[in-house]
Amino acid sequence: MSAESKPFGHSTRLPSLEKAAVWIVLVVLLLVAGLSSEAFFKLNYLTNLLRQAAPVGIAAVGVTFVMLLRGVDLSVGAVISMSAVLCALVMDGRPENLWLGIAASCVCGALIGLANGILVAHGKVSSFIMTLGMSIVVYGLVQVGSGGTARGIVSPGFREVVNSRIGGVLPVLVICLLFAVAIGIFLQSRTRFGRSVYLIGANPEAARLAGLPVNRVTVVAYAVSGLFAGLGGLALLARTGVSGTNPGAGMEFDVLAAVVLGGTTFAGGRGSVGGTFAGVMVLFIALNLANVAGLPFAAQLIIKGLIIIIASAAHSWIGAGSGGRKQE
Amino acid sequence: MRQYLMHSIAAAMIGTFVTGTSMAQEMDLTKKETYDQIMTWANEPLDTSSYKKDGDLRIGLSAGYLSNAWINFTAQSVKYEASLHPEIKEVIVTDAAFNPTKQAADIEDLLTSGVDAILFWPVDEKAILPVLKKAHEKGVVTINIGYNFMRDPSVTSNAYVNQWTYSEQVATEFAESLNGKGKIFAMLPIAGSSAAVVQLAVLQEVLKGYPNIELISSEYGDWDRAKAKQLTENLLQRFPEIDGAFSPAGQMSMGIYEAFDEAGRLGELTLSPGDDYNGWTKLVTKEGKWGSVTSGLEVGRAATKQAVKILTGEPTTTAVVVPTRYLDPAEAAKLNEPDRADDWFKTDLPTEFLPQ
Repeated sequence: MSAESKPFGHSTRLPSLEKAAVWIVLVVLLLVAGLSSEAFFKLNYLTNLLRQAAPVGIAAVGVTFVMLLRGVDLSVGAVISMSAVLCALVMDGRPENLWLGIAASCVCGALIGLANGILVAHGKVSSFIMTLGMSIVVYGLVQVGSGGTARGIVSPGFREVVNSRIGGVLPVLVICLLFAVAIGIFLQSRTRFGRSVYLIGANPEAARLAGLPVNRVTVVAYAVSGLFAGLGGLALLARTGVSGTNPGAGMEFDVLAAVVLGGTTFAGGRGSVGGTFAGVMVLFIALNLANVAGLPFAAQLIIKGLIIIIASAAHSWIGAGSGGRKQE
Repeated sequence: MRQYLMHSIAAAMIGTFVTGTSMAQEMDLTKKETYDQIMTWANEPLDTSSYKKDGDLRIGLSAGYLSNAWINFTAQSVKYEASLHPEIKEVIVTDAAFNPTKQAADIEDLLTSGVDAILFWPVDEKAILPVLKKAHEKGVVTINIGYNFMRDPSVTSNAYVNQWTYSEQVATEFAESLNGKGKIFAMLPIAGSSAAVVQLAVLQEVLKGYPNIELISSEYGDWDRAKAKQLTENLLQRFPEIDGAFSPAGQMSMGIYEAFDEAGRLGELTLSPGDDYNGWTKLVTKEGKWGSVTSGLEVGRAATKQAVKILTGEPTTTAVVVPTRYLDPAEAAKLNEPDRADDWFKTDLPTEFLPQ
């Protein structure tokens, strides 16, 4: 199958049960959630759930490309933190600095991703070690730059606009998330970069022998991941402001969980941005379900974990049943 | 799953600072009598004669971590107070970055460098007890700083903020502001941390006097504004009626406030007093209600003064207790610095000692 003849990310069996697995899981989970609390059938609640998911969801779009290439990006949590703290610092409470702050966060996120990509592609450093190390470096830089307190002040209007609802219904942050997903799907399905990601992820050696620019695509994928993490930081800043220097701590695990739930495997070459979006939804419904059900905290932990495991396993079984590959 | 790893570790460490998860002498943190006992110990005279030093003094500050605004201000306060004592020639600061093993090594290094006193806030008290014992045997003064109290021969003194009293002031003012009735939830720090245990115990104790206030849910927001907001959003879906939220930490109160605001239910919200966090005092100023309880930010300076007293052989007590105080909204508003970030505390530190 040539890159030009068929769009990648789409099986020859369209639409396959494997591709639909995460969506089936999502629908079933939503029905179960709705039976336990009618809140899950309310538009306002669902849009609010999407709004909660925006920082993780936006970052997960970028990480999907890295994982399609058999890589991993553990630096996204640190980049989200850096982006939020840096943006507020640059904005400094001044309206004229609004776009400068946004640009600074995006550029820094992309540059960190670029550095990850260059060292993974050309330095042959393991993506796990590289991005883990980078997350520590970024965390340290944020501490040095901020002096241990999140001293920035968001420009007036930024949070008010991004955190508002259009027509009192649709949150702007949800539009941002859907826009990020749309861009990701476009990159994945309609660009040479996206097609190359699938080919390289499926078989890097074959792709190299076929003359694909493996290193360049790898560098770009990590830069995209850094950029989307930067945007995720902006979403976090808009949603809650910053009250510490590490507001994105731990988010890399939510991001990875969502991407894997969405069907993108560590084996590379399989998965999609659309699946990642569904994975984000599954993750956040699981988180909210346990909370809304009013279970004691310890029981919530057990239920949340079980839902994630069961959802992932169900996805894998459905995929395998349709002739697909089990999740790694 | 959310934020269970790095973030939970960080939050747990903050929790350790605020009350400590383990004590050198095990104590029941859910009983008021424990705190009465601590106050009795604190007022016992301390024999400083064996620690008296002549000449210049060197102070070591072993920070369990520095990546938190309150902690940062405390560390800067130690440095500032030291600058006011000409006999102190040097302050050496180490940062364990939440790593108990590193903190033990840091304290070893401070001993090697010949400090006369070590001020510390522990990542894990048990992990550093052996090296504190070594310090004690060398005649080095050791002072524990924070909301926890360490009762152990290897700990010379404590600079202490009473968590029970602090939480009691918050809970009592909150119950009064509800006129003694309504459905409330509690937004607590990380589950299992002693801060969460103490705050919930105090709230339940205070509520015994207000039978018409119903605690409908206890949530754990990990001192995180975003998480507090998300949890509150869920509670707002679950409960058609919520009259108030008990949240002693200002940054989490801000998340609660935003969730109510975005749900269009701000009118039904009564918040407990928060602390003196700048973001919170901004909110108190804007709303003109709810107030603050001071968080004992002076504890860093108090610890340094205590070190000087002990090292110069002045009479003092086993611990120095930094009081907390309820500030009504008008008083709390005076703590607000509108041109500063949310993540800030009003302080009398000179500019050169502010966190940079």
